[in-house]
Amino acid sequence: MVSKLLNEGIVDQIREVFTQLDQPVAILYFGRKTDCDYCAETSQLVEEVTAISDKLSLKKYDLDDDATVAARYHVDKAPGMVLAGLDGDRIVDYGIRFAGIPSGHEFSSLIHDLLLVSSRDSGLDAQTRQFLQDLKQPVLLQVFVTPT
Amino acid sequence: MVEATEFPELSNRHGVSGVPQTTINDGAGTVVGAAPEDYLVDEIRSVLEQGK
Repeated sequence: MVSKLLNEGIVDQIREVFTQLDQPVAILYFGRKTDCDYCAETSQLVEEVTAISDKLSLKKYDLDDDATVAARYHVDKAPGMVLAGLDGDRIVDYGIRFAGIPSGHEFSSLIHDLLLVSSRDSGLDAQTRQFLQDLKQPVLLQVFVTPT
Repeated sequence: MVEATEFPELSNRHGVSGVPQTTINDGAGTVVGAAPEDYLVDEIRSVLEQGK
């Protein structure tokens, strides 16, 4: 039996937080078979997180074997994740991507982002929303972090 | 989110040393440290106005 990454105490805390989940969320996970130090651990981590609530679902892909899907979601790094809304069978892409294992502080970011997508609301100011709606070209934001 | 230690080439290309670092449009703009909402919007606006 493979030991769990999340202990019971953490799972209970997350379950409590997940009572706030509203609409369904899908995690699209992309791994690769070679050259990916943290794929196995990230894969197990997202399995354990999504198992905590039935409002979360997980779809696993391989970056190489499922290259068409990866291209569709502009995923080119493994381990990689898309956090998307799930409306019935339809994936609603909000452009949220994780590249690398979400450990340490980034684990909280993952949990927070699942709640955010589930709420279907960015939580941003009216002015910011207007600014974003007025955008005439794509904007890529990449936030570099380290696993502290 | 990009976990910098797993993607060193990308991180080096963007000169990542202090984290968090937010890059806008592949390095056209950069915010080191926390990026409050209004500040980030201003930075994005600035990048777009400069036509980067």
